[in-house]
Amino acid sequence: MRARDNPFAAERLQTVRYRPLNTTFDQILVHLRELNYRGAIIGPEGSGKTTLLEDLQQMLKGKDVRTRLIFVNDTARFDSPACRRLLAELTRDEIVLLDGADLIRRSDWSLLKRHTITHAYGLVITSHHRGLLPTLIECSTNPALLRAIVSDLLPRGHPIPAESLDRLYTRHQGNLRACLRELYDLYAQDHHV
Amino acid sequence: MEKLSIILEQDKAAFAPRETIRGTIRWNLDAGIRHLELSLFWYTAGKGTRDVGVIETRRFDEPGAVGWKDFSFPLPDGPYSFSGKLISLIWALELTCSPGSETVRREIVLSPTGHEILLACANESER
Repeated sequence: MRARDNPFAAERLQTVRYRPLNTTFDQILVHLRELNYRGAIIGPEGSGKTTLLEDLQQMLKGKDVRTRLIFVNDTARFDSPACRRLLAELTRDEIVLLDGADLIRRSDWSLLKRHTITHAYGLVITSHHRGLLPTLIECSTNPALLRAIVSDLLPRGHPIPAESLDRLYTRHQGNLRACLRELYDLYAQDHHV
Repeated sequence: MEKLSIILEQDKAAFAPRETIRGTIRWNLDAGIRHLELSLFWYTAGKGTRDVGVIETRRFDEPGAVGWKDFSFPLPDGPYSFSGKLISLIWALELTCSPGSETVRREIVLSPTGHEILLACANESER
Protein backbone atom coordinates (compact mmCIF):
# COMPACT_ATOMS: atom_id res chain seq x y z
CA MET A 1 0.00 0.00 0.00
CA ARG A 2 1.25 3.47 -0.88
CA ALA A 3 1.95 5.68 2.14
CA ARG A 4 -0.55 8.26 0.89
CA ASP A 5 -3.32 5.64 0.89
CA ASN A 6 -2.60 4.27 4.34
CA PRO A 7 -5.63 4.95 6.57
CA PHE A 8 -3.28 5.37 9.53
CA ALA A 9 -1.03 7.98 7.89
CA ALA A 10 0.02 10.84 10.15
CA GLU A 11 -2.17 13.43 8.46
CA ARG A 12 -5.21 11.20 8.95
CA LEU A 13 -4.34 10.64 12.60
CA GLN A 14 -4.20 14.42 12.96
CA THR A 15 -7.91 14.52 12.21
CA VAL A 16 -8.60 12.38 15.29
CA ARG A 17 -9.35 14.80 18.08
CA TYR A 18 -9.61 14.28 21.81
CA ARG A 19 -12.66 12.37 22.99
CA PRO A 20 -13.41 13.06 26.65
CA LEU A 21 -14.28 10.01 28.74
CA ASN A 22 -16.73 10.59 31.60
CA THR A 23 -16.61 14.37 31.12
CA THR A 24 -17.21 17.05 28.49
CA PHE A 25 -15.15 19.83 26.97
CA ASP A 26 -17.38 22.36 28.74
CA GLN A 27 -16.68 20.71 32.09
CA ILE A 28 -12.95 20.74 31.37
CA LEU A 29 -13.12 24.48 30.62
CA VAL A 30 -15.13 25.15 33.78
CA HIS A 31 -12.59 23.24 35.84
CA LEU A 32 -9.74 25.14 34.17
CA ARG A 33 -11.39 28.41 35.15
CA GLU A 34 -11.81 27.12 38.73
CA LEU A 35 -8.07 26.40 38.75
CA ASN A 36 -7.40 29.98 37.70
CA TYR A 37 -6.11 28.70 34.37
CA ARG A 38 -3.22 26.84 35.96
CA GLY A 39 -3.48 23.10 35.62
CA ALA A 40 -1.94 19.90 34.40
CA ILE A 41 -3.22 17.35 31.92
CA ILE A 42 -1.98 14.08 33.31
CA GLY A 43 -1.75 10.69 31.69
CA PRO A 44 0.45 7.94 30.33
CA GLU A 45 1.95 7.89 26.83
CA GLY A 46 -0.58 7.75 24.05
CA SER A 47 -3.55 8.73 26.20
CA GLY A 48 -4.34 11.97 24.33
CA LYS A 49 -2.65 14.64 26.43
CA THR A 50 -1.12 16.51 23.48
CA THR A 51 -4.30 16.21 21.45
CA LEU A 52 -6.33 17.63 24.32
CA LEU A 53 -3.86 20.49 24.74
CA GLU A 54 -4.21 21.32 21.03
CA ASP A 55 -7.98 21.15 21.28
CA LEU A 56 -7.88 23.33 24.37
CA GLN A 57 -5.96 25.91 22.38
CA GLN A 58 -8.68 25.97 19.73
CA MET A 59 -11.40 26.28 22.36
CA LEU A 60 -9.61 29.15 24.09
CA LYS A 61 -8.98 30.86 20.76
CA GLY A 62 -12.69 30.59 20.13
CA LYS A 63 -13.21 32.56 23.34
CA ASP A 64 -10.69 35.20 22.19
CA VAL A 65 -8.12 34.09 24.74
CA ARG A 66 -4.52 34.44 23.58
CA THR A 67 -2.48 31.26 23.86
CA ARG A 68 1.07 30.19 23.23
CA LEU A 69 1.57 26.49 22.52
CA ILE A 70 5.03 25.07 23.16
CA PHE A 71 6.02 21.52 22.34
CA VAL A 72 8.92 20.00 24.22
CA ASN A 73 10.16 16.62 23.06
CA ASP A 74 13.31 14.81 21.98
CA THR A 75 13.65 16.93 18.85
CA ALA A 76 12.31 20.22 20.26
CA ARG A 77 14.31 20.93 23.37
CA PHE A 78 13.36 23.65 25.81
CA ASP A 79 16.65 24.68 27.35
CA SER A 80 17.39 27.54 29.74
CA PRO A 81 17.94 30.19 27.01
CA ALA A 82 14.65 29.17 25.36
CA CYS A 83 12.92 29.41 28.73
CA ARG A 84 14.29 32.90 29.35
CA ARG A 85 13.31 34.02 25.85
CA LEU A 86 9.77 32.81 26.49
CA LEU A 87 9.55 34.62 29.81
CA ALA A 88 10.80 37.85 28.22
CA GLU A 89 8.19 37.64 25.46
CA LEU A 90 5.22 36.66 27.60
CA THR A 91 2.32 39.04 27.99
CA ARG A 92 -0.20 39.06 30.83
CA ASP A 93 -3.11 38.16 28.58
CA GLU A 94 -1.57 34.91 27.36
CA ILE A 95 -2.09 31.36 28.51
CA VAL A 96 1.01 29.22 28.06
CA LEU A 97 0.21 25.72 26.87
CA LEU A 98 3.26 23.58 27.47
CA ASP A 99 3.40 20.05 26.13
CA GLY A 100 6.01 17.87 27.82
CA ALA A 101 6.64 19.65 31.11
CA ASP A 102 8.41 16.53 32.42
CA LEU A 103 11.26 17.16 30.00
CA ILE A 104 12.17 20.61 31.31
CA ARG A 105 15.04 21.04 33.74
CA ARG A 106 13.85 21.46 37.30
CA SER A 107 15.35 24.95 37.66
CA ASP A 108 13.72 26.14 34.40
CA TRP A 109 10.41 24.67 35.49
CA SER A 110 10.57 26.49 38.83
CA LEU A 111 11.30 29.75 37.05
CA LEU A 112 8.51 29.25 34.52
CA LYS A 113 6.00 28.23 37.17
CA ARG A 114 6.78 31.24 39.36
CA HIS A 115 7.03 33.79 36.55
CA THR A 116 3.73 32.83 34.93
CA ILE A 117 1.80 33.49 38.16
CA THR A 118 2.20 37.22 37.67
CA HIS A 119 3.28 37.59 34.03
CA ALA A 120 0.79 35.37 32.22
CA TYR A 121 -2.93 34.69 32.23
CA GLY A 122 -2.38 31.01 32.82
CA LEU A 123 -0.26 27.92 32.42
CA VAL A 124 -1.52 24.54 31.26
CA ILE A 125 0.90 21.68 30.93
CA THR A 126 0.93 18.03 30.01
CA SER A 127 2.79 15.64 32.23
CA HIS A 128 3.07 11.94 32.87
CA HIS A 129 2.95 12.51 36.60
CA ARG A 130 0.92 14.44 39.14
CA GLY A 131 2.43 17.20 41.20
CA LEU A 132 3.75 19.90 38.90
CA LEU A 133 0.44 21.80 38.89
CA PRO A 134 -3.05 20.97 40.15
CA THR A 135 -4.57 18.26 37.98
CA LEU A 136 -6.98 19.58 35.37
CA ILE A 137 -7.80 16.17 33.95
CA GLU A 138 -6.34 12.70 33.96
CA CYS A 139 -6.38 11.25 30.45
CA SER A 140 -7.05 7.58 30.03
CA THR A 141 -8.02 5.19 27.28
CA ASN A 142 -9.99 1.99 26.95
CA PRO A 143 -10.42 -0.66 24.25
CA ALA A 144 -13.73 0.83 23.14
CA LEU A 145 -12.01 4.15 22.42
CA LEU A 146 -9.43 2.43 20.20
CA ARG A 147 -12.20 0.58 18.38
CA ALA A 148 -14.11 3.82 17.79
CA ILE A 149 -11.06 5.69 16.48
CA VAL A 150 -10.04 2.85 14.17
CA SER A 151 -13.57 2.58 12.87
CA ASP A 152 -13.52 6.28 11.97
CA LEU A 153 -10.18 5.98 10.17
CA LEU A 154 -10.89 2.86 8.15
CA PRO A 155 -12.77 2.91 4.88
CA ARG A 156 -16.35 1.72 5.23
CA GLY A 157 -16.84 -2.01 4.90
CA HIS A 158 -13.30 -2.92 5.96
CA PRO A 159 -13.51 -3.33 9.72
CA ILE A 160 -10.81 -4.85 11.89
CA PRO A 161 -12.17 -7.52 14.24
CA ALA A 162 -12.73 -6.15 17.74
CA GLU A 163 -10.77 -9.03 19.30
CA SER A 164 -7.70 -8.09 17.22
CA LEU A 165 -7.92 -4.49 18.37
CA ASP A 166 -8.39 -5.54 21.96
CA ARG A 167 -5.24 -7.68 21.76
CA LEU A 168 -3.37 -4.75 20.21
CA TYR A 169 -4.61 -2.48 22.99
CA THR A 170 -3.43 -4.93 25.65
CA ARG A 171 -0.05 -5.43 23.98
CA HIS A 172 0.59 -1.67 23.96
CA GLN A 173 -0.80 -1.23 27.48
CA GLY A 174 -3.39 1.30 26.40
CA ASN A 175 -1.00 3.49 24.39
CA LEU A 176 -3.24 4.46 21.48
CA ARG A 177 -0.44 6.19 19.57
CA ALA A 178 1.57 2.97 19.58
CA CYS A 179 -1.51 0.99 18.53
CA LEU A 180 -2.17 3.28 15.57
CA ARG A 181 1.49 3.19 14.50
CA GLU A 182 1.43 -0.58 14.49
CA LEU A 183 -1.72 -0.51 12.41
CA TYR A 184 0.07 1.80 9.94
CA ASP A 185 2.85 -0.76 9.59
CA LEU A 186 0.42 -3.63 9.16
CA TYR A 187 -1.43 -1.79 6.41
CA ALA A 188 1.84 -0.69 4.79
CA GLN A 189 2.78 -4.36 4.44
CA ASP A 190 -0.73 -5.17 3.24
CA HIS A 191 -1.00 -7.56 6.16
CA HIS A 192 -4.35 -6.40 7.39
CA VAL A 193 -5.41 -7.40 10.83
CA MET B 1 -20.23 26.31 -10.88
CA GLU B 2 -17.58 25.58 -8.26
CA LYS B 3 -16.60 28.48 -6.03
CA LEU B 4 -12.94 27.93 -6.86
CA SER B 5 -11.45 25.75 -9.57
CA ILE B 6 -8.11 25.00 -11.15
CA ILE B 7 -8.24 23.85 -14.75
CA LEU B 8 -5.06 22.47 -16.26
CA GLU B 9 -4.34 23.00 -19.94
CA GLN B 10 -5.49 19.95 -21.92
CA ASP B 11 -6.33 18.40 -18.55
CA LYS B 12 -2.69 17.38 -18.33
CA ALA B 13 -1.71 16.39 -14.80
CA ALA B 14 1.70 14.72 -15.29
CA PHE B 15 4.78 16.75 -16.07
CA ALA B 16 8.47 16.21 -16.68
CA PRO B 17 11.06 18.12 -14.65
CA ARG B 18 11.49 21.71 -15.90
CA GLU B 19 8.32 21.54 -17.95
CA THR B 20 5.92 24.46 -17.65
CA ILE B 21 2.53 23.84 -16.11
CA ARG B 22 -0.24 25.97 -17.61
CA GLY B 23 -3.86 26.42 -16.75
CA THR B 24 -6.66 28.68 -15.65
CA ILE B 25 -8.14 29.48 -12.29
CA ARG B 26 -11.81 30.36 -12.01
CA TRP B 27 -13.70 31.78 -9.08
CA ASN B 28 -17.31 32.48 -8.25
CA LEU B 29 -17.34 33.91 -4.74
CA ASP B 30 -19.21 36.35 -2.59
CA ALA B 31 -18.29 39.99 -2.93
CA GLY B 32 -15.58 41.32 -0.65
CA ILE B 33 -12.75 38.97 -1.56
CA ARG B 34 -9.47 40.79 -1.06
CA HIS B 35 -7.18 38.38 -2.79
CA LEU B 36 -6.68 34.91 -4.20
CA GLU B 37 -3.51 32.91 -3.83
CA LEU B 38 -2.35 30.12 -6.11
CA SER B 39 0.54 28.02 -4.79
CA LEU B 40 2.68 25.34 -6.37
CA PHE B 41 4.10 23.03 -3.73
CA TRP B 42 4.89 19.49 -2.72
CA TYR B 43 4.20 17.75 0.55
CA THR B 44 4.83 14.40 2.11
CA ALA B 45 2.28 11.99 3.52
CA GLY B 46 2.78 8.80 5.46
CA LYS B 47 4.00 7.62 8.80
CA GLY B 48 6.09 10.63 9.79
CA THR B 49 5.30 14.28 10.21
CA ARG B 50 4.45 16.22 7.09
CA ASP B 51 7.14 18.06 5.18
CA VAL B 52 6.20 20.82 2.75
CA GLY B 53 8.11 22.69 0.08
CA VAL B 54 6.41 25.73 -1.45
CA ILE B 55 7.91 26.48 -4.87
CA GLU B 56 5.96 29.59 -5.79
CA THR B 57 2.88 31.52 -4.75
CA ARG B 58 1.01 33.97 -6.96
CA ARG B 59 -1.30 36.50 -5.42
CA PHE B 60 -4.20 38.11 -7.24
CA ASP B 61 -5.40 41.24 -5.44
CA GLU B 62 -8.97 42.53 -5.65
CA PRO B 63 -10.08 39.78 -8.00
CA GLY B 64 -13.79 40.64 -7.85
CA ALA B 65 -16.53 38.15 -7.06
CA VAL B 66 -16.39 36.26 -10.35
CA GLY B 67 -13.58 35.84 -12.82
CA TRP B 68 -10.80 33.79 -14.32
CA LYS B 69 -7.09 34.12 -14.86
CA ASP B 70 -4.52 32.12 -16.79
CA PHE B 71 -1.38 31.00 -15.01
CA SER B 72 1.86 29.21 -15.76
CA PHE B 73 4.59 27.89 -13.49
CA PRO B 74 7.94 26.53 -14.62
CA LEU B 75 8.49 23.31 -12.71
CA PRO B 76 11.81 22.59 -11.01
CA ASP B 77 14.07 19.55 -11.47
CA GLY B 78 12.49 17.77 -8.53
CA PRO B 79 11.77 16.20 -6.18
CA TYR B 80 9.90 13.60 -8.18
CA SER B 81 6.46 12.40 -7.19
CA PHE B 82 6.91 9.07 -5.48
CA SER B 83 5.32 6.61 -3.08
CA GLY B 84 6.78 4.01 -0.82
CA LYS B 85 5.32 2.24 2.16
CA LEU B 86 6.51 4.87 4.63
CA ILE B 87 6.30 8.08 2.66
CA SER B 88 4.69 9.59 -0.41
CA LEU B 89 5.70 12.85 -2.01
CA ILE B 90 2.82 14.62 -3.66
CA TRP B 91 2.85 17.71 -5.87
CA ALA B 92 -0.15 19.99 -5.96
CA LEU B 93 -1.55 23.35 -6.92
CA GLU B 94 -3.76 25.01 -4.33
CA LEU B 95 -6.04 28.00 -4.72
CA THR B 96 -7.25 29.85 -1.64
CA CYS B 97 -9.18 33.05 -1.04
CA SER B 98 -9.02 35.65 1.67
CA PRO B 99 -11.07 36.32 3.62
CA GLY B 100 -12.76 32.94 3.64
CA SER B 101 -12.02 29.29 4.00
CA GLU B 102 -12.70 28.21 0.44
CA THR B 103 -9.85 26.22 -1.00
CA VAL B 104 -9.29 23.85 -3.88
CA ARG B 105 -6.34 21.57 -4.49
CA ARG B 106 -5.31 19.86 -7.70
CA GLU B 107 -2.69 17.15 -7.51
CA ILE B 108 -0.14 16.79 -10.28
CA VAL B 109 2.72 14.38 -10.95
CA LEU B 110 6.27 15.53 -11.49
CA SER B 111 8.29 12.65 -12.89
CA PRO B 112 10.48 11.89 -15.88
CA THR B 113 8.33 8.82 -16.58
CA GLY B 114 5.02 10.64 -16.47
CA HIS B 115 3.92 8.49 -13.53
CA GLU B 116 4.39 8.58 -9.80
CA ILE B 117 7.51 6.56 -8.98
CA LEU B 118 6.67 3.55 -6.85
CA LEU B 119 9.38 2.47 -4.47
CA ALA B 120 9.70 -1.23 -3.74
CA CYS B 121 11.21 -2.38 -0.49
CA ALA B 122 14.54 -4.28 -0.67
CA ASN B 123 12.92 -7.67 -0.03
CA GLU B 124 10.39 -7.19 -2.80
CA SER B 125 12.98 -6.15 -5.41
CA GLU B 126 15.03 -9.26 -4.63
CA ARG B 127 12.11 -11.57 -5.35
